Amino acid sequence: MEGLGILSAILWLPLLGILALFLIPREKEELIKLITLITVLLDFILSLILLLKFDYSNPAFQFVEKRPWLDIINSFYFLGVDGISILFVPLSTLVTLLCVLISWYSIEEKIKEFYLALLFTNIAMVGVFISLDLLLFYIFWEALLIPMYLIIGIWGGPRRIYSTIKFFLYTFFGSIFLLVAIIYLFLTFGTFDYTFLVGKALPFHVEKLLFLGFLIAFAVKVPMWPLHTWLPDAHTEAPTAGSVILAGILIKLGGYGMVRFLLPLFPQATLFFAKLILILSVIAIIYAGLACLWQEDLKRLIAYSSVSHMGFITLGIFSLNPIGIKGALLQMINHGIVTGALFMCVGVIYDRTHSRAIKYYGGLASTFPLYAALFMVFTLASIGLPGTNGFIGEFLILQGAFLKDRFLVVLAATGVIIGAAYMLWLYQRVFFEKPSAGVYNLAPMRWNELTALISMVFLVFLIGLYPNPFLDLMRVSVTKLLTNLP
Amino acid sequence: MVTPSLNFGSLALEMLLLFSGIFLFLVDHFMKNKNYAFWVSVLTVIASLFILLFIPFGDFTKAFRVDFYSSSIKFLLTIGFFFLLFLSYPYLKTFSALNFGEYYGLLFFSLFGAYVMISSQDFLTLFLGLELMSVSLYFLIASQFLYKRHALEGSLKYFIAGAVSATFYILFLCILYYATGSIYFEEVIKKLSQGHLRGELLVSFVFFLGAFSIKLSLVPFHMWAPDAYESSPLPIVVFLAGIVKFALLAVLIKVLILAFSPLKLELGKLIIPFALFSILIGSLLAIKQDNLVRLLAYSSIAHMGFAVLGLTSGEFSGYGFSLFYMFVYLFTTIGTFALLIYFIKINTHLLNINNLAGISKDFPLCSFLFLIFLFSLAGIPPTGGFMAKFYIFVMLIKAKYIAVALLALLISVIGAYPYLRVIKVLYMDEGLIHYKKKSFSILLTLTLIVATFITLLLGIYPKPLLDFIQRTLFLYLSLQFFQF
Repeated sequence: MEGLGILSAILWLPLLGILALFLIPREKEELIKLITLITVLLDFILSLILLLKFDYSNPAFQFVEKRPWLDIINSFYFLGVDGISILFVPLSTLVTLLCVLISWYSIEEKIKEFYLALLFTNIAMVGVFISLDLLLFYIFWEALLIPMYLIIGIWGGPRRIYSTIKFFLYTFFGSIFLLVAIIYLFLTFGTFDYTFLVGKALPFHVEKLLFLGFLIAFAVKVPMWPLHTWLPDAHTEAPTAGSVILAGILIKLGGYGMVRFLLPLFPQATLFFAKLILILSVIAIIYAGLACLWQEDLKRLIAYSSVSHMGFITLGIFSLNPIGIKGALLQMINHGIVTGALFMCVGVIYDRTHSRAIKYYGGLASTFPLYAALFMVFTLASIGLPGTNGFIGEFLILQGAFLKDRFLVVLAATGVIIGAAYMLWLYQRVFFEKPSAGVYNLAPMRWNELTALISMVFLVFLIGLYPNPFLDLMRVSVTKLLTNLP
Repeated sequence: MVTPSLNFGSLALEMLLLFSGIFLFLVDHFMKNKNYAFWVSVLTVIASLFILLFIPFGDFTKAFRVDFYSSSIKFLLTIGFFFLLFLSYPYLKTFSALNFGEYYGLLFFSLFGAYVMISSQDFLTLFLGLELMSVSLYFLIASQFLYKRHALEGSLKYFIAGAVSATFYILFLCILYYATGSIYFEEVIKKLSQGHLRGELLVSFVFFLGAFSIKLSLVPFHMWAPDAYESSPLPIVVFLAGIVKFALLAVLIKVLILAFSPLKLELGKLIIPFALFSILIGSLLAIKQDNLVRLLAYSSIAHMGFAVLGLTSGEFSGYGFSLFYMFVYLFTTIGTFALLIYFIKINTHLLNINNLAGISKDFPLCSFLFLIFLFSLAGIPPTGGFMAKFYIFVMLIKAKYIAVALLALLISVIGAYPYLRVIKVLYMDEGLIHYKKKSFSILLTLTLIVATFITLLLGIYPKPLLDFIQRTLFLYLSLQFFQF
């Protein structure tokens, strides 16, 4: 372990951007945007290099960096990726990159602060996915709250302050149980080292409590029903980039945390609680799906659809077999791409009309055809049409869950239908019917919007038509993960 | 037993502070240009840092001892005090009616008291130091009575609370002396470790804790704090909330180790309700405050609750974490008040939160620094405030106080709200008034840089300071152990 590893490079590269931004006077807005763009682009390229160098036949952690950090409590600066986390690193950097692109013209005030917050978000997101020391993980996990609080609160919509404080307190509340559980684990085994903690036996009643401690934190982030109420508010009021980060990465942290920590660290408790979580997942799928049909606000509808989709993901994880978990992991990536793209799409018209009400629109297909085509792709991907990435993920999840509990899968599968109903109905109301007064003379799409959306379309079809490389990446690690379960 | 001797060398630091104070008082009348007082103070503080580095350990009679622990605590305090001076100068420039020499002189008397207290080896010297420290503060709090309507009220409240505290302390001394026949730490602990008198000493300690709770503004003895803070000059608030309480906590720890260590578990349990209620009441009452100083006063009550939670386990790593917590809090407070001083230089009404609305537009850097300090106060990583809280919780859970830790954490979610509200006002509200920028004095800039640096560094890499604090405690303990 000599020199700076590639993981550290990916993690800390945005810090250079932050320092550079500090030195630039705030009047030079173009320069600020450019430097941020270059930083995140470099970071994305680095994470692609990481992806290419990753050896998918090796189940162990790779690119490991371990340095002493806090001796007094035996905590290390310990980074590494395996098949479970490898895909999230490029996803995080990609999402940040697209956020920079999509915000290019739409953020008009406090530009410097905005890009500082985005870069800080990037560090925290990547940090969560690659840290193997529980304390380090927690620090990144919590630090992410700071920029998100600001992004929603400063650049958000009319009810932004209510939403952002709700978001902050909700997630902060969830995290404290995680903190107590982490400290308890540390005091029992004397280390925060994840690789050491895996497979260590605990008394069953302790394991259950610790499981719940971790679960509350992750369930708030995911968010699982009934802890989801912060999400529609936060998603709706956040600026486009904020919604994309929330949908793309932030709520994936919960799912990632479940796969990474709950299953290997507390196998007994996982089995004990699996049924409960499966039921909660199905409730989330159906309840949130039905709630979508009620919504009159574009972003709120997509936010509720997130809750529903995340229900599929927890369903996949707690079906506790390789197919379900692989499906869940892939679906997290898919959902990040598709829902992120949907929020970008909403951002595109919101920037032009400043309205999120579904009623306001109508007939966009005739006045804004290119946009309508792009939106269609993401709509279909969100529904899970074969050929798009959403299909692969949902299919694997349902297949995995079928092996676990057939009755619940039947219920969950109705969620797919509800999904098709609300998305297609949304599409009909916004794009077809008689054009409303507000949709004429919309400015054509800009280069930044086109770049962002078209790259997303590319990913939708890449994963949809040829998912094998992505599944290969996670196969060995998922198999190894499940060997811990009794 | 160490033979008492009149070793005046051990008193060098205290003498220096005392003489500086007297000098400032005497000379002040003849000086037209008041800037000299600041420079004399800075020189004194630098000299005391040097003295602290080189002073030999030893006793001055049985009552006063210079050792590694007391010197280290004094060193940390002196560093804090150094930046306090940096805050005082620009503040006094803004409100020039304060008499400079007296202000610095009184500060030195108060610091002198704190140092006597830290070095004391018996309960009477401790009391002397405690009162010496407080008496100057009664004046300092009221020193702005020309500007602030409530200045005298705040001072009087602190004075009355101090009187009650003194009463408690005397009661404690009476019972202690009745029970053990001695006021020296060493003899008290000897009596205790023989196994007698546990009941009597436990009762006496209740009064001791009462006296200290008043000074530390722990609930239910917190009433004086918001009023006293609001009426004080801003640097004095830092002195009250940071330095005085740091010193008091250090002394409390010293007493717990040196005099009461056989009882430390019971005493720890006694502290828990004080701590938890302080966190709860401080957090709840901070929610509705519109005056920033009052808000920070309530937050200081909550923070003191967290800091004394570290004392509950009776382990000395816990004591170290308490001191670490206080140090982080001290520097976060210094940074926050540096900003407040700049704000009132712009406009005196900026101490009201509502007038800060949207100020980040005109003062981006100030707001950003304020943000860092506020997140540190709320305990969000990667700031020092998180690390400080984290270690306290590690210690609590280690001591099997899981319910206490969970409660404290749950309350800290409420406690985050006041800070979030300030950030909301700074960044998210629309500002109606545009304030004119004022020049940033070099002293304030320097203070801010150091405070920010320390707040962030302690959040990312707290190891050196923690090691240092643990070493002082460890050496101290082994020294004591050796004497038995």
